[in-house]
Amino acid sequence: MAQFDLNDDSVVVIIGSGAGGGTLANELAQKGIKSVVLEAGKRFDISDIENDEWTMFQKISWLDKRYSGGGWHGSVNHPTLPAWIVKGYGGSTIHWAGVALRFKDFEFKTRSTYGAIDGANVEDWPIDLEEMTPWYEKAELKMGVTGKTTGMPHLPWNNGFRVLAEGCRRTGRSDYRSGPMAINSVERDDRPACQQIGFCMQGCAIGAKWSTMYTELPRAEDTGKCEIRTDAMVLRIEHDSQGKANAVVYADKDGNQHRQLARVVCVAGNSIESPRMLLNSASAMFPDGLANSSGQVGKNYMNHTTGGVYAVLPEKVRMYRGTSVAGIVGDEVYHDAARGFAGGYYLEFLSLGLPFMAAFLEPGNAGWGRGVAQAMEAYDRMSGVWVLGEDLAQERNAITLHDSEVDQHGLPVPIVSKTPHNNDYEMTAHMYETSTQIYEAVGATDVYELPAYPATHNMGTNRMHADPSKGVVNAYGQAHDIDNLFVSDGSQFTSSAACNPTLTIVALAIRQAEYIAQEMNAQNI
Amino acid sequence: MSIRFHRLRKSDEDRVAMSRRMFLMTTTMAGITTNAMMGGTAFAGSGVLNEAQSSSLLRMVQDIYPHPDVLQLSHYEAIAATVMKNADADADVAKSLTDGLGQIDAKAQELFGVPYVEIEDPDAREGLLRHFQNEGFFQGVRWTAYFGIYDNKDIWPLLGYEGASAEHGGYIDRGFSDITFVPEGPTLEERMAEVQS
Ligand SMILES: Cc1cc2nc3c(=O)[nH]c(=O)nc-3n(C[C@H](O)[C@H](O)[C@H](O)COP(=O)(O)OP(=O)(O)OC[C@H]3O[C@@H](n4cnc5c(N)ncnc54)[C@H](O)[C@@H]3O)c2cc1C
Ligand code: SF4
Repeated sequence: MAQFDLNDDSVVVIIGSGAGGGTLANELAQKGIKSVVLEAGKRFDISDIENDEWTMFQKISWLDKRYSGGGWHGSVNHPTLPAWIVKGYGGSTIHWAGVALRFKDFEFKTRSTYGAIDGANVEDWPIDLEEMTPWYEKAELKMGVTGKTTGMPHLPWNNGFRVLAEGCRRTGRSDYRSGPMAINSVERDDRPACQQIGFCMQGCAIGAKWSTMYTELPRAEDTGKCEIRTDAMVLRIEHDSQGKANAVVYADKDGNQHRQLARVVCVAGNSIESPRMLLNSASAMFPDGLANSSGQVGKNYMNHTTGGVYAVLPEKVRMYRGTSVAGIVGDEVYHDAARGFAGGYYLEFLSLGLPFMAAFLEPGNAGWGRGVAQAMEAYDRMSGVWVLGEDLAQERNAITLHDSEVDQHGLPVPIVSKTPHNNDYEMTAHMYETSTQIYEAVGATDVYELPAYPATHNMGTNRMHADPSKGVVNAYGQAHDIDNLFVSDGSQFTSSAACNPTLTIVALAIRQAEYIAQEMNAQNI
Repeated sequence: MSIRFHRLRKSDEDRVAMSRRMFLMTTTMAGITTNAMMGGTAFAGSGVLNEAQSSSLLRMVQDIYPHPDVLQLSHYEAIAATVMKNADADADVAKSLTDGLGQIDAKAQELFGVPYVEIEDPDAREGLLRHFQNEGFFQGVRWTAYFGIYDNKDIWPLLGYEGASAEHGGYIDRGFSDITFVPEGPTLEERMAEVQS
């Protein structure tokens, strides 16, 4: 692996090694561009992966101090765990389930499609599906997504999804399938086919599921052009007198601080830490934080309108056997104002293990007693879905800095505020109703509605906009205010769309790498 | 189990206190393995609780996650023993536990005229405990019970959960798609045709 000097100012510094940062590092490395990746977490490898929900949660989650705020139930029930994301080599792509959906065209054009919505801050992206299609294809080839681009068949259907699918068939639906998933259904790219282990969200023990941990990151390191420093928590980004980013200050695992010079800085710490870093980097020249002349850094935090639905069937299902997200229902992904809400939503079959089911069935202090115990006795007869839909950007949903409490590095603790919009209440009711109908059609005796989990999809807090007064970055993720500062993760999203974000994060990172290379060659940055 | 968006906010002070507790419960406790938690302490051996308090604790653990047809008394005794062991090790925990058990009995006397363990109707006992569910001592016992039951590998099979599968080669040849009350999924050929058309 390459080693670069702290005073080497020719390197691109990438902050974070997850979906965005990991992809960008490898793309740049393959083009011969030197980079240093700074990753706050430890170096994990596939041997760290265990089939145990709490063990893995404890091992790899981001557990630095954070607060939940706003009106969602989590500010009471998950007060210090607003989001469930990873700190480590590979970022949240260790935990992720592998669903790899593209945005629909209208989801890039939410303002034009939905119009202005009271209380929301909905805008159009500066890019659309036509522009993104070739990048989506590159992302699908890179990640190994089942479907037409790779020609890999979707995965075989497991018990839990077969129940859901039959409910879909009986309620006249047509769009339900076991993909697209970034999980090998056949051996591909030096990685094996899925063995139906389950525990996808604890990390895939055999590497069938794409993760930057065993694809992009080691491949970037192998080029000799990329150095990945783990246990390197970035504290702030610095700039020169012209207002160009020029260095990144980070703390190592002993708390010692280092200052890495940089030609270009790319922020990919996920949508809570990325804006937090920019806000913490405020200076005399940029008193409201870096790249924040629009005032939109940290605002418009989106994490999907979600919930869970678990149905008890008359016979054993054993939903935990096999792929955790084994199938996707797409019939509800369209916009029709007559439904009473803007945007669409997916139903994704999702198995939870027994420990997580008992924790999330009724989160918070009330989650005990005969109701919970009885439900748990039906655990092996359950099938269920995670429902997720468009979450409208709102300015009040934001990452802000605590005014007195600091973390172990002395940085103000982030407060992650989320208050559902009326649109969310309407959509959630519809989601629960649809899911219940589907499961009742296949004989469900009980149906449990679960509120949102701590957020796994975090988006929007450094959003793209053609107009520098309305967004933080341009169509390439380049800060409007600082040419050599990029945002390379889901915080770029202008809208959340209904689908899981990672394919889009990866597609944008591939496209951004191309742009960075071009701009570096042209000496523009 | 139902939508909770509209739940009332706690006062800020309560929230901060609860935040700390919940942080400990949802994260720190998650690291405790069931073996370490169960520690093998004999049930009766508490230095902190008297016999009546120990019985209340055991009843409480059973009422928190009642599985009379699935679990043995010994499962609950192991959880109560863990709670007592933690109380033995920490005077603050011990005090809030004994105070809490005292408050439960006082409320039981007030509402039903008998100590908590003598209330026969399980719904009434649960209703009584609901009064205390936002208290630290209660949630301490509750999360210990949670980990002792639902994160306990010995109990998983009783609740129909098979745990880790990687070391057995996953479920690809072990029934990931073996149910018979709904149709099978598409064959490999059908799935191939779908992506190659
Ligand atoms: C359980 C779970 C299931 C999921 N399932 C799916 C799915 O099926 N489909 C899908 O599309 N998405 C899924 N996701 C979401 C997906 O994981 C994320 O969208 C994606 O990983 C985000 O990429 P990212 O690069 O923004 O951040 P991450 O992948 O989270 O990476 C960010 C990295 O930055 C590091 N970092 C943060 N701050 C700093 C700092 N100051 N200094 C140094 N390093 C820092 C972090 O430690 C982390 O490693 C899931 C997520 C979870 C948790
Ligand atoms: S089900 Fe497949 S993808 Fe998921 S963890 Fe197991 S082998 Fe990996």
